[in-house]
Amino acid sequence: MKIFDRATVRRHRDRAAPGLDHYGFLFAEVAERLAERVDDVLRDFPLVLDLGSHGGDLARLLPGRKGISTVISCDLSEAMVAQAPGAAVVCDEEFLPIAPNSVDLVVSNLSLHWVNDLPGALLQARAALKPDGFFLAALFGGETLKELRDSLAAAEIELEGGLSPRVSPFVDVRDAGALLSRAGFSMPVVDTETITVTYEHPLKLMNDLRGMGESNAVHERRKGLSRRETLLTAVENYLDTHADDEGRVPATFQIVWLAGWAPHDSQPQPKAPGSATVSLADVLGTHPPSCSS
Amino acid sequence: MSEAPRTVDPKLLEILVCPLSKGPLTYDPQAQELISPQAGLAYPIRDGIPIMLIDAARQLDGEGA
Repeated sequence: MKIFDRATVRRHRDRAAPGLDHYGFLFAEVAERLAERVDDVLRDFPLVLDLGSHGGDLARLLPGRKGISTVISCDLSEAMVAQAPGAAVVCDEEFLPIAPNSVDLVVSNLSLHWVNDLPGALLQARAALKPDGFFLAALFGGETLKELRDSLAAAEIELEGGLSPRVSPFVDVRDAGALLSRAGFSMPVVDTETITVTYEHPLKLMNDLRGMGESNAVHERRKGLSRRETLLTAVENYLDTHADDEGRVPATFQIVWLAGWAPHDSQPQPKAPGSATVSLADVLGTHPPSCSS
Repeated sequence: MSEAPRTVDPKLLEILVCPLSKGPLTYDPQAQELISPQAGLAYPIRDGIPIMLIDAARQLDGEGA
């Protein structure tokens, strides 16, 4: 099923590339956090693949840490990867052109939410990893832009009598762990954090989203301009519900972190049920009352 | 940003495969293309960046060498 129009994703990213210094603050912030998480892993990763690299934030941050010598930036947008330092390739995460068992670490910073086939993309990322390679990705979670989504929905219901898909569907935390397992990762870990950005005005937020290359690319979105009245009402709703004393508004970005390992014999394996030879009660020295003398 | 034209990173060349067939690619430095004999496609390299998109590839005609 095609949810996202990938050609539109590409066009939005191409258009956003020149202004990334100005609008890319959220990508830069999450890239820093991602690099810190890589620092915490007790392993070296000589060769790294960055899926959906935007302008190459991670190719600037990662080399030199954890034995990382090469970061390959890949993105759907040529204008984005052209800004990345070092090795770069234009590719579609849904058709990853990387040989199996070839990289030590796959990272992805706020890009996989535009992929139609997330299980397929995760599977291809896992296949690209060498055994015992590590995968770490930040995705936008379901709480992202909830204020904007609610304000738009209320305005549309009021003025147009129905909803159109304006804000991307995001991954649900509860599904994320299962997705990782399904893609063949061992020891999958999922956690979330919330970043709240305060804006002078809801219109500034909408402008920023466009600047980040994150405007709507849902396939079934309504083509053409939104009704001016609907947008104005949405802005009013946003201000009414969320503005602080000075009229500033919050925007929630929920980051879902996905981590997992490409399977390897050295990793802990669960034993087969019933294979234990020693009673747990013996080890703990706690015998059930009925057995004690 | 740098004056010298970018060349494809050798480590990248080593691990690239055709996104369609997942088969091996041959590098044509003259034409600046990566050729996938299995898929019958040639992917362009622009300024050292391989463009590994199926809809950006050139269709190879006839029998490839």
